[in-house]
Amino acid sequence: MIVFKTFLKVLYKCKMPVILFTVILILFGVMNDSTSDNTASFTASKPDLVIINQDEEEGITKSFIEYISENSNVKHIGNDNEQLDDALFYREVSYIIYIPEHFRSDFLKGENPKITVKSTGDYEANLAEMLVSRYLKAANVYIRELDSEDEVIRQVRETLSKQAQIEITTQIDGAEISRLVVFFNFANYSLLAGGIYVVCLILSSFKDDNIRKRTMISSVNEKQYNRQLLFSNSLFMIFLWALYCILGSVLLGDIMFTVQGLICVLNSLIFSLCCLTISFLIGNLINNKNAINGIINVVALGSSFLCGAFIPMEWLPDSILAVAHFLPSYYYIKTNECLKQIEVFNAATVQPIVINTLVIIIFMIVFITITNVVSRRKRKIG
Amino acid sequence: MKHVIEVRNLCKEYKSLQAVKDLSFEVREGEILGLLGPNGSGKTTTINCILSLLSFSGGSIRIFGQEMSPDAYHIKREIGVVFQEVAIFDELNVVDNIDYFCGLYIRDKKIRKQYIDDAIRLTGLENYRKFYPKQLSGGLLRRLNIACGIAHKPKVIFLDEPTVAVDPQSRNNILDGIKTLRDQGATIIYTTHYMEEVEILCDRIIILDKGQVLASGTADDLKTLADIEEKVTAKVAGLDAGHLDGIRALNNVDEAAYHQDTLVVKYKTGKNNLADFIDYLKKEDIHYDQIYSERPTLNDVFLKLTGKELRD
Repeated sequence: MIVFKTFLKVLYKCKMPVILFTVILILFGVMNDSTSDNTASFTASKPDLVIINQDEEEGITKSFIEYISENSNVKHIGNDNEQLDDALFYREVSYIIYIPEHFRSDFLKGENPKITVKSTGDYEANLAEMLVSRYLKAANVYIRELDSEDEVIRQVRETLSKQAQIEITTQIDGAEISRLVVFFNFANYSLLAGGIYVVCLILSSFKDDNIRKRTMISSVNEKQYNRQLLFSNSLFMIFLWALYCILGSVLLGDIMFTVQGLICVLNSLIFSLCCLTISFLIGNLINNKNAINGIINVVALGSSFLCGAFIPMEWLPDSILAVAHFLPSYYYIKTNECLKQIEVFNAATVQPIVINTLVIIIFMIVFITITNVVSRRKRKIG
Repeated sequence: MKHVIEVRNLCKEYKSLQAVKDLSFEVREGEILGLLGPNGSGKTTTINCILSLLSFSGGSIRIFGQEMSPDAYHIKREIGVVFQEVAIFDELNVVDNIDYFCGLYIRDKKIRKQYIDDAIRLTGLENYRKFYPKQLSGGLLRRLNIACGIAHKPKVIFLDEPTVAVDPQSRNNILDGIKTLRDQGATIIYTTHYMEEVEILCDRIIILDKGQVLASGTADDLKTLADIEEKVTAKVAGLDAGHLDGIRALNNVDEAAYHQDTLVVKYKTGKNNLADFIDYLKKEDIHYDQIYSERPTLNDVFLKLTGKELRD
């Protein structure tokens, strides 16, 4: 127990940097949760556009202009081409609709007159194009079937005003699950960085060459000694994990007590132990306390970016994901991401989670084995 | 007398460098054995081999009659080591540091507390119990280093240059502490390149150079190897070759050397050659500032055996 007791004393002596680092990580977690956009509802945005009408504002032309005006922000910039081009260039508007002369009469004759447009090609321009195309398509359909212009206008407006009624059959609250997943994905960074920082900080004292030499000639069995050190560090790692889970319960509320929440908690516990083995390996490799911050940046930040802790996995290029396969973080985050899709928990749906967990455990075994080899090599001082 | 440590034909190489060559010696129970030699003579390598911190290419090492190996924990329990480098936790105070290293051997808290107090008393750290290493001077750190190595009351103690870069007060404290440990029954192997220390402290001395034993015995035994009985040193300015020849022609003079206003005259026999020497200086009207006579030192022995100074 002397090793554990000394571990606690060294940890206590390093309390200020450890507390500061932990608080910063927790603050990052809170900020990440509060800034992440997981809203399930949306409101359609209205594109800024200009309508240059060269026809008379009557009948179908009037109705078309009214429909566009209701669903967009129509700007009045004038008819000067140079001014209009400038407005597009400086993104004052995204779309310019030129309604040609005789549009109404040609349309009623069924000649399908061409509407000229200028577009910035951005998201708002696409939205404007969708509005134009939706109105014209509906009008084209009704003009073939109906004789009266008024009737066509009425039917088109009625059709376009219809809203689809969508009933969500899933029992999962998508937004809440997304928040849960984002929170635990971020834990990849917090647990790795926290683990590496504290474990390496303490191991750099225990593994100091001179102290190690003195320990090696003592009557303590080296395996027992390493086991005691691993046990001591694992207690800190579990404390860090528990702290993160408590923070999750406060921030996320009831979702933490669902099956998905429980799986996230268990997944993060296993990943915490994996972080411990990684930290233990790094702690055995380095002797310099000054190198710890650099290593945190490379290992924790690097794997978090590569494996989709900060950026969703689906946004990452295949080449990066191919590299990420060699990191335990990838399997941890993949398990979290799986939860977004799983609605019913059965053997088939849980299988990928089990496989990911097994891969993380294999990583742990590999890291422990490498640590033993490194430790054995370091025993030889000449 | 019982042999606590027996080293037989020990050989150790670092790639092409032969660090220890066919080294054999034994350490008797209750003695202080000094390993004396210049830097790089193989003292620390020999100790590391004995402690199984280093593998070796040939020979055998037995402690308490048993083969020493990295997992001979029952032997290690009886060994204490004080390395040349200070091996302590910067994050722990004096008591906690000693407690940790003592705790690697002694589990019982009560016994450990007693042992810690004894170690603190022995090294004179009573007033620094709650001090952290950063608050201690170099000498006090060395004392703490020793306290950590001997707190568990080992039967055999290895002290590897424990007084390097230590102030005179701490050095005296350390040397007194080592004598006390010997008096308490510990067997001590003391390595140093300070010949004065081994002369004061050690019952027997082994002189090492280039990984080999050059000579061994008590300080007096070794001094006979220097082949001189008295050495006179004088501060003399402007001595010419004729005067030097005159000094060499004096009775019993083995060798006379003059360098940077310092004249050293070695006498083969006799212990009262100083009077003759002063008479000669007066007769020749040679002015001298300082003059003293001494018995041959271990440095003279080393010089005789290797042709170089111990501190070269």
